[in-house]
Amino acid sequence: MLELKHIDKYYNPGTVNEMCLFSDFNLTIRDNEFVAVVGSNGSGKTSMLNLICGSIDMDGGSIVIDGKDISKEKEFRRMKYMGRVYQNPAVGTCPTMTILENMALADNKGNLFGLKMGTNKKRIDFYKDSLRQLNLGLEDKMDVKVGTLSGGQRQAMALVMSTMTPLDFLILDEHTAALDPKTAELIMELTDKIVREKKLTTIMVTHNLRYAVEYGDRLVMMHQGQTVIDVAGEQKKAVDTDEILRKFNEISIECGN
Amino acid sequence: MRKRMLAGIMGIVMMASLAGCGSSTGSSSGEGSTAAAGEETYTIGISQFAEHGSLDNCREGFIEGLKEAGIEEGKNLVIEEKNADADMGTAAQISQSFVTDDVDLICAIATPAAQSAYTAAMDADIPVIYTAVTNPIAAELATEDKKPVGEVTGTSDELPVEAQLKMIREILPDAKTIGILYTTSEANSVYTIEEYEEMAGDYGFTIEKAGINTSSDISLAAEDLLGKVDCLTNLTDNTVVASLATILDMANEKNIPVFGSEIEQVKIGCLAAEGIDYINLGKQTGAMAAKVLKGEAKASELDYESITENSLYVNQKVAENLNITVPDTMTERAVEIFDEISAE
Amino acid sequence: MDWILTIIEQGLIYGLLALGVYITYKILDFPDLTVDGSFPLGAAVAAILIKGGMNPYLTLPLSFLAGAIAGVFTGLIHVKLKVRDLLSGIIMMTALYTINMLIAGTNNLPIFANDNIFKNPWLEKLFGGEIPSWSKVLIILIIALLAKLLLDFFLKTQAGYLLRAVGDNDTLVTTLAKDKGNVKIIGLAIANGLVALSGCVFCQEQKVFEISSGTGALVLGLASVIIGTSLLKGFSFIRATTAVLIGSIIYKACVAVAISFFDPVYMKLITAVLFLVVLVFSMERKKKVKRNA
Repeated sequence: MLELKHIDKYYNPGTVNEMCLFSDFNLTIRDNEFVAVVGSNGSGKTSMLNLICGSIDMDGGSIVIDGKDISKEKEFRRMKYMGRVYQNPAVGTCPTMTILENMALADNKGNLFGLKMGTNKKRIDFYKDSLRQLNLGLEDKMDVKVGTLSGGQRQAMALVMSTMTPLDFLILDEHTAALDPKTAELIMELTDKIVREKKLTTIMVTHNLRYAVEYGDRLVMMHQGQTVIDVAGEQKKAVDTDEILRKFNEISIECGN
Repeated sequence: MRKRMLAGIMGIVMMASLAGCGSSTGSSSGEGSTAAAGEETYTIGISQFAEHGSLDNCREGFIEGLKEAGIEEGKNLVIEEKNADADMGTAAQISQSFVTDDVDLICAIATPAAQSAYTAAMDADIPVIYTAVTNPIAAELATEDKKPVGEVTGTSDELPVEAQLKMIREILPDAKTIGILYTTSEANSVYTIEEYEEMAGDYGFTIEKAGINTSSDISLAAEDLLGKVDCLTNLTDNTVVASLATILDMANEKNIPVFGSEIEQVKIGCLAAEGIDYINLGKQTGAMAAKVLKGEAKASELDYESITENSLYVNQKVAENLNITVPDTMTERAVEIFDEISAE
Repeated sequence: MDWILTIIEQGLIYGLLALGVYITYKILDFPDLTVDGSFPLGAAVAAILIKGGMNPYLTLPLSFLAGAIAGVFTGLIHVKLKVRDLLSGIIMMTALYTINMLIAGTNNLPIFANDNIFKNPWLEKLFGGEIPSWSKVLIILIIALLAKLLLDFFLKTQAGYLLRAVGDNDTLVTTLAKDKGNVKIIGLAIANGLVALSGCVFCQEQKVFEISSGTGALVLGLASVIIGTSLLKGFSFIRATTAVLIGSIIYKACVAVAISFFDPVYMKLITAVLFLVVLVFSMERKKKVKRNA
């Protein structure tokens, strides 16, 4: 269970541009929950992910996982039990290394990264099997550099790589936003499959309201650092895209955009 | 397309380098056999460490010295002149290229060039004659008793410290403290200051020194030093000499005389100098080289030499400005007297 | 023939430096000016230890270690004190000038009279008296190849993968639950270790430590790396390290040509032009890669 308790976050504190993003923000995510988060620009969606991962510091409150306060833990330490896929496909993979090397790199997550060989030959078949599920033919291009792949192919790899080792949380940061609609659809289906198969606790930030309604078992809409909609289970199944869209327009108009 | 062009450029460069190899060996392999006039022809390589006024004078003097001994370029002498541009790696390549060309003698100007030439020539039995090496003993080119460590000898441009002290005493009978500015990283300066400190007492002086790291430290260091001394004396320290004009301005304001170590320094406003003439030093080196080339002596049999005669330079205009009278005995033996201050 | 051997000798000695620069410039994407100080650092350590009577072969790992420590400091300044990469290098390079002077005790320390890796009783015994002149290039070749093979091996280990990833995409390193700062520090340590090793061999080949020997080391290393990797467009990392060594030899060949054909005044200009030509060429390549991305 992941709890965000009484979170405060200011940008540019102490200057005329001071902006309060979160003030006493609370959110609890239960195990094996697939939460879709939507909201307008500046509503605090991505900042929330950054706070959870430790990419940015908070000004007050605490983040608790299974009763343990991780607020002081450094980003790279939290990543031991978290996986994250970014909006930019280039961030999830290493472009000058081959597909095989990238897979091996991800496979070694949690290891010491010492002087053992980087690629364990015995694992190659496993890598190929993982890639085969994507139906992108990547399993036949193991020695191709990732930098030459398309954005969609890279994002698919990033998803496979970030979920290869055991995880407590999967963080998806608008991971379909930079892709064309068809590829986005593919990546979204793939995400759903992996999350279901591995029973991952997942937080997905998206701009696509339809994805938020269709996928996941809980929907959160954020606005100006607050949750304005939070529905789960049967309640969520009852909502439809139009209703969410109406609400979304409402808050957007309020903001004047 | 571009790749091919670049490859082409590289190819040309490589070819040219091979051609260069061929031509330079060609020019020297003619040695000995082309002794048409019954006289032997010599090939020497001159490796100069950097472009520098004094070092250039050394080279000129060296060629002059050889000429005086009957070895003249164009007649019975082929000279390969190379300059390392103050880079150790380049100096190494130059020395190696002389060895490959099998020259009869290498003339190395300045300490790093001398060391690199000796390293390269050591196993090839090519004699090395150096000049402008301030301290051949510290450079391990000579042993404590001035004997060469191998087929390597030459001349030192060690400053005539004692003569300088004597001269300062003659001009300033009442002075007590001499100030010296120097760069901490220049080993030659550090060494010369030790000499000064050792001998200053004999002439009733104490030495006050101020070390700098870069030329930007000079104003502060000079200001501090000028408050503590009766006069300044200058070494051949590269960094300090480059900023001499600034130092002179500051000293003049306080009416403190500055002594130099070279003709150029006196020209631009030092009161006087008991210094070395690098042309003469070069000539002396050339004479040594001639002996070795003609087979009269082996380099290993010749002790390294310092300048045999110091030259006194006086600037009367500066003396006038400072209200100092330079004794007649001195103006009489001065090699050159300047009546004006040239602005470089 | 001797002429070419000299170029190969010098090229391989500076090739070690180029391998170090390859790590910082190509792998870490870190313009590391520390090398201008760590090259003479290796030389100073070698000279003073040899003067003290140490086995010359032992100075090789010790110089590497000294360079690695310098690299760690540059890394700490950059990572922990958050100083920009270029400035961290400049700070360390400046500090090393004094440190090198303190280690050697002077700016010019000759070791003519002492044993070195090319001339010592052990080698004399090995060759039964006279040490043949070709042994020098052989020894340098062995050291350069050994360094290259070890580096190749390292880049294929898990730690090596991480090093390659950090220069490419340091966010990925964080998501792999590793501290990207530490990875950078390790990379800088290895790089400067190689540079110091280069200085150590150079010092023994020249039989003298000279403080100014590091001036322009970074430029020289960069030129070698760019010439090598552009000319011999490496596809795998194994080829890249070889390409860097060959690049260094080509660079030294160009210097040799410049020495024999041009006035020394033009030397730096020739270097600059050569550098620019290769750089412009390699940028063209980079653009292509980006377009594909």
